[in-house]
Amino acid sequence: MTGNRKPLLASDGLSKLFGGVVALDQLDLEVFPNQILGLIGPNGSGKTTFFNVVTGIYPASGGQVKFDGADITNLSTQAVYRAGISRTFQRSRLSLSLSIFDNIMIGNHKRLNQGLWFNLVRRDAFRREFEQNFEEARELVQVFDPPLAERMFEAVSGFPMIDRRRIEICRALISRPKLLLLDEPSAGMTHEETTELMDDIFKVKERVEDLTIVIIEHEMGVIERITDACVVLNFGQKICEGTYQEVAQDSQVQEAYLGVE
Amino acid sequence: MDIGLFAQYVMNGLMLGMMYALVAVGFTLFFGVMDIINFSHGDVLMVGAFGGLATYLGLTFLGVENPWVQLAAAFAVATSAMALMGALIGKFLVLPLKKAPPLNTLLITLMLGTVLRETIRLFYPRGANPQRFPSLLPTDAYSFGNFTLRVDNMMLLAAGLLAIIGIHLLINRTKLGLAIRAVAQDEDTAKTMGINFTLIVLVTFAIGSGLAAFAGILHGLYYSEVNFGMGLLLGVIGFSSAIVGGLGNIYGAIIGGFLFAALQTLGVLAMPFASAYKDVFAFGVIILIMAWRPTGLISEKISERV
Amino acid sequence: MSARAWLVPLLPGIVAAAGVTVYVILLLVVESQVGIAALLVAGVIAVLVAARFGAAARVGAVFAERDDILNLLVILAVLTVTGFFYEDHFVLLMVATVIIYVIACLGLNLQFGYSGVLNFAGAAFFGIGCYTAAVLTKNTGVPHLVVLVAGGVMAALIGSFLLLPVLRTHSHYSAVVTIAFGLLFKIFLEVNDTLGGPQGLRVDGMNVLGWEFNDNIEIGENFEASFYVNYIVVGLIVLGFAFAFVRRVERSWIGLNLDAMRLDETAAASFGLNITRWKITAFTLGNFLTGLAGALFAMMLGFIAPTNFTFGDSLILVSIVLLGGIGNPWGLVVATVMLIIVPEKLQAIQEYRFLLFAAMVILILLFRPEGLLPRPLRTYIPGWKPK
Repeated sequence: MTGNRKPLLASDGLSKLFGGVVALDQLDLEVFPNQILGLIGPNGSGKTTFFNVVTGIYPASGGQVKFDGADITNLSTQAVYRAGISRTFQRSRLSLSLSIFDNIMIGNHKRLNQGLWFNLVRRDAFRREFEQNFEEARELVQVFDPPLAERMFEAVSGFPMIDRRRIEICRALISRPKLLLLDEPSAGMTHEETTELMDDIFKVKERVEDLTIVIIEHEMGVIERITDACVVLNFGQKICEGTYQEVAQDSQVQEAYLGVE
Repeated sequence: MDIGLFAQYVMNGLMLGMMYALVAVGFTLFFGVMDIINFSHGDVLMVGAFGGLATYLGLTFLGVENPWVQLAAAFAVATSAMALMGALIGKFLVLPLKKAPPLNTLLITLMLGTVLRETIRLFYPRGANPQRFPSLLPTDAYSFGNFTLRVDNMMLLAAGLLAIIGIHLLINRTKLGLAIRAVAQDEDTAKTMGINFTLIVLVTFAIGSGLAAFAGILHGLYYSEVNFGMGLLLGVIGFSSAIVGGLGNIYGAIIGGFLFAALQTLGVLAMPFASAYKDVFAFGVIILIMAWRPTGLISEKISERV
Repeated sequence: MSARAWLVPLLPGIVAAAGVTVYVILLLVVESQVGIAALLVAGVIAVLVAARFGAAARVGAVFAERDDILNLLVILAVLTVTGFFYEDHFVLLMVATVIIYVIACLGLNLQFGYSGVLNFAGAAFFGIGCYTAAVLTKNTGVPHLVVLVAGGVMAALIGSFLLLPVLRTHSHYSAVVTIAFGLLFKIFLEVNDTLGGPQGLRVDGMNVLGWEFNDNIEIGENFEASFYVNYIVVGLIVLGFAFAFVRRVERSWIGLNLDAMRLDETAAASFGLNITRWKITAFTLGNFLTGLAGALFAMMLGFIAPTNFTFGDSLILVSIVLLGGIGNPWGLVVATVMLIIVPEKLQAIQEYRFLLFAAMVILILLFRPEGLLPRPLRTYIPGWKPK
């Protein structure tokens, strides 16, 4: 299904060293438009580091990242976001004391007018922008969970984990990114909640055109169900790629997971 | 410049450096086990110095005149009282805020510093004025040209160095030191290895604060004077020294202390006309160092998990 | 809509404002120390009772809906108090001081209330405003309204020298940068002769378009009001602007940016927030407000000295922000009234005020870290409801 199209995101020989520790080792990886790619591998295999290097939180030690035809290696995290990549975090990084709406708007930064004059003086124009964004945010939350959309101005700290994950994904989606990076969205949730969240992701994917997703996950059920393709990392190297079925049968992958050296 | 005068400056710089180092070690110890800055540390030092002074006055009042006894008692009372206070600070102010934003710990210790400072100013007899600190050490002196080598200063220097060596041995050669290092390295792992985290934190606070009291008395003996505001200045300088040496690194803190004193002494030497500005210079240097190397010359390890 | 239908929903707010005004007047009138202590205790009990029976919540709800009315009521209350004591220098000086401190603390609130940029040199930036006013009024003919602004600009400019270290450091490191600056500033003033050394400087009173602020206001033969009324009026106008400004910052995307930055810099940066830009904005605007307040204060007092700008004074400003409730401008107002007026009236604690404030902040941090009036969630547009 990837056809001959050009990849949306491609890393070429991407490396990341922390002191002497090799977190990413000459990684070549391609993600094609509209794909859901699963990124799997044992703990410490470099999955989250890959996200952090792509999004500019860590500088790369070597190699290149291309997004939508442009070189984004070592761009600032702000520039990567503006280019159209949004993410969620492994340990949910919402601002708990702020409302749902506030949190979602943090993700909408590039589409909001940030001018001092606009914000402080042109209050009527601000009001219009606010109302429009509120409607947009509410619609997005409704896709996930209609009751949640009625509580947009309540503090996030009062919501359970699954709702927080939903809010976090809404925060990443509100700016209409081309690429969404999900870092272990099932962490801290029960099996049922995870299933629910995955349904949500499908719904969103149907609704939003041209959305490509890379998902890091430990729950193999999730990977099997939602991904089109998988890449397996171990010690920062790609050891296998293909559909979930192909990958699951690979002996190297089984070794990596069982810890046979 | 005259060599004798130069030697005098060096001597003075060494004394300052030793005191800064003692304060900086405390900061670094607290940071090691709890990742916090105890901004009341300088004021603990000041209270320690006053405690030593009060002990001396009490003994004189009771008729104990032997300076060695007085000295030993002053050190013993002040260090143990401050060690106790340090543990109490850890237990009632720092540990309860473990889960709160770091800003809160910073504020609470800053405010505690104010409470200590004000308590001495208001409740110590005539506490708002500088207090004369007795010379309890032999005052013999040997002259070499312009340079006067005073026995008491040599003894102070030796005492400070002994304290530093003592801390080194404690941290590296004892089981307690091993536990402190383990907690500093990784709290969770230390806990699973059966180390009593709370106890180690409290003991570390006790050690650091006792050390501050020790430094406070040395300071009093050297300058023959203590005052309620002395802790603020020493605290900021000690903290800066700890930062220069990379917070959490004991040897870095010691080097940082001496480095800072050297800078200050050099500043005075280089610009004798501006000696009134020596503290302005010191604080300016702190700000510059922070701008240049925000986490110190020997960088603190920063590993934020994202 | 009939006047009645309009008024009734506002009633709890109006009653509360009237009650507080009467209470403050009483507090200022009573001279006997026992009386003042009794009033303070009564005040605390009244607040606790009101909170217990839900009255406080109702008042809060009214003000959340109609925050324009609250602003008017408070201005009215201040003017009532001023009118009541129109010839009492001592009381009016206190009122003016409260107003000026609130302006200064609004600046601090922008900095560490919203943005998490620490500033433990508030008194130093206030002092920069004071000394700017002193130098300009004595040596130049710059119009005094411009002097006010110059005080703010000067504080912002000198603050910009600290930008690099403040931007590059975090939490305790940047705390020590500002502490060092605060200490440096005071020592510098003491050893520097051109700025008057430890003796300080005299400052001219304010004069706007020929109106001498330091002359009592005389109308006809029999009416004479204290000259502090002038400063209260100007202070209120400046405060009105500053307050509206800070409120609008909070109720906009800018306020959201600042909160996001304070709560999680990494996450905020991942969503495009330019941390440097917003830290500079908050630090500079905050220092501007603090410096402006300082300039007004200096012209009012007519005399300034380094002892007004100690580290302890910086900590008082921080205490006000913390006690009131970080990020809540109304909390600031309440905390300033408490911290300025109570020690002035209750002579017994005057000497112990640093000690008491510090102890109070410790208790607040341990038991109620959100402050006396916790900051509510952001409302972008007061009274707005989703359709």
